[in-house]
Amino acid sequence: MELFLMTLVTGIMVGGIYALVALGWVLIYKCSGVLNLAMGELTLIGAYVTLAFYTAGIPFILAIVGTLLVGIALGILTERIFLDKLIGEPLLAVIMVTVGLSFFFKGMVTFIWDTDTRVFTPPIFGIKPIELGFLRVSPVYLWSFILAIVLLLVFVFFFKYTRWGLSMQATADDETAALSLGVSARFVYAAAWAIAFMSAGVGGALLGNINGINISIGYLGLLVLPAVVLGGLNSVPGAIVGGIIIGLLQNLSGTYLDQFFPGGVKEIVPFAFMAVFLLFKPYGLWGWERIERV
Amino acid sequence: MSTVWLPCGDYHQRYEEDQGWWQTRFIKAKMILLLAVVFIGIPQVLPEYYVSVGTMVGYTAMGALGVQLLIGFAGLITLGHAAFIAVGAYTSTLLVLQFPWPQLIADWGLAYPISIVVAGIAAGLWSVLFGLPSAKVKGFYLILTTMAAQFITVDFILTQYVSQIGGRGQAFSLPPGIIKIGPWTIDTDLKIYYLMAVLLTLMVIVLANLLRSKPGRAWVAIRDNDIAAEALGINIVRYKLLAFFVAGFFAGIAGAFWVSNTAALSPEHFPWFWSLWLVGVILIGGVGSIHGAIFGALFMVLVMEGLQWAVIPMSAYFPRMLMAFASIKDAAFGLAICAFLIYEPNGLAYRWWQIKNYFNLWPFSY
Repeated sequence: MELFLMTLVTGIMVGGIYALVALGWVLIYKCSGVLNLAMGELTLIGAYVTLAFYTAGIPFILAIVGTLLVGIALGILTERIFLDKLIGEPLLAVIMVTVGLSFFFKGMVTFIWDTDTRVFTPPIFGIKPIELGFLRVSPVYLWSFILAIVLLLVFVFFFKYTRWGLSMQATADDETAALSLGVSARFVYAAAWAIAFMSAGVGGALLGNINGINISIGYLGLLVLPAVVLGGLNSVPGAIVGGIIIGLLQNLSGTYLDQFFPGGVKEIVPFAFMAVFLLFKPYGLWGWERIERV
Repeated sequence: MSTVWLPCGDYHQRYEEDQGWWQTRFIKAKMILLLAVVFIGIPQVLPEYYVSVGTMVGYTAMGALGVQLLIGFAGLITLGHAAFIAVGAYTSTLLVLQFPWPQLIADWGLAYPISIVVAGIAAGLWSVLFGLPSAKVKGFYLILTTMAAQFITVDFILTQYVSQIGGRGQAFSLPPGIIKIGPWTIDTDLKIYYLMAVLLTLMVIVLANLLRSKPGRAWVAIRDNDIAAEALGINIVRYKLLAFFVAGFFAGIAGAFWVSNTAALSPEHFPWFWSLWLVGVILIGGVGSIHGAIFGALFMVLVMEGLQWAVIPMSAYFPRMLMAFASIKDAAFGLAICAFLIYEPNGLAYRWWQIKNYFNLWPFSY
């Protein structure tokens, strides 16, 4: 029972990080209709940039802020150079541009930082587990979860109450109407990519604290795809719930299924679950159903 | 109508004329010349290094043909094709290494040819299994299920279970001389090249014939508008699954061919990268044509080889460039895809069509 609860709590906490990255993904999709397969590489970049700041002697929180700034710059650049020209192109073209971007980013990251696993030295979070009642949680998970939730709240607040956030919501809802009200669509696209880079970057930095940083962070970032599919592609609450479900699934299967299927069952279960789930609910939990006509 | 050249403009009156292969003697001569170059010119004239590059082009083209069928003709976007190539390669390897063949078949060197066919069928059925969701979902959701196919097949089933068969652990080693076709042992680059050329030619002929018969027309109808296709009486689920089967079959044959070209088979030969690479190949070559897949394979393999030639002299000044060549290759591939999609979205096949059209209509191109 205790094992079950521990797994549950860890799953929810890792899920918080996935939720943060998934939020960035959903934003891009809602605002510009781009289905982004480069999210894994964005988390990778975030992890390495934070590490670079941290090893240069900057405190962790400031390193995160620095990562956010780099994320904004990279997001706007990426949108302006590559995605801007593809608005209205067919699905395959847009997806494959993001695939091309993911290769480009991965190549650059491995070229600059090599493929060895790196860790944050000195460690940012203590090793001694924190006691919460009868549960013991490693501080990395707890602080990552708290930071992820804080950022999620900041983003949600941004969308609900600021002018930029509202214009992004308007564009996502109805682009033509938003344009007629004086919202600059190009600004919104750039902002969506900037926010996606930011959320993925922080997610990557947090994931990097858990297991060290190497290429596999990119794979963890890819797990947002099952998360957003579970939640429904265009639902922000769906992304958050989906992220947490994926975190839970991953940890539960790692604890309970690993003895039956030794090896990498933990990495596969989210994708397998997603494939089966799609057969029964093709639009996820809260995605819009699209009725097609000839 | 002249039997040597086509008239300016399109004067076909029947579907058979329009789809005919040997429309003029010029086209026939051109294709025979192409076959001569592929079967005699490249292997007999060029040095061995270029022959092995040619083999890589052929292997890439074999994989890309299946992807072209799914994406370019049936409109089913797949990002997990390497999984089916892997299934074919492993089926063939297991059959050759582990299956208790009767002495007669082993003596006659039939084990490998039989395993190629079985590998194709196995990979086709495996592909249909992951194509089943296409009955219900499409677009992005279908992409995700094919991705799931990649991770489940290669990273889980093949790595964790199939690789354990025979107790070897990571990879199956293929001792030299075990790949035999009839009296020939496939052991030199030249023989591998010939095997590739024969298989690729057969695959192109089969695919071209499929595309100009009923299934091909059904696939194109589904690609262009699946709801309208259904209204025309096409059973779209059946034809989508047929597309998955044929693409998987081709992938299986490509995988079985790869067995002859490698000394040890491991799951690392079929990463997700390879699936994406194949999609990149058809995007660069041109979506929706057979020669597009071949142009793409030519372009990608030759450019990557050229990149290697460019990096080797530069590594004298920047030694890291050689060490991190894989990263450079990734980055170059990514940039190439982005550049083609933004600046040449119709691929190389469109340029080829333009050139052909110019000469067809010359000198009155208006």
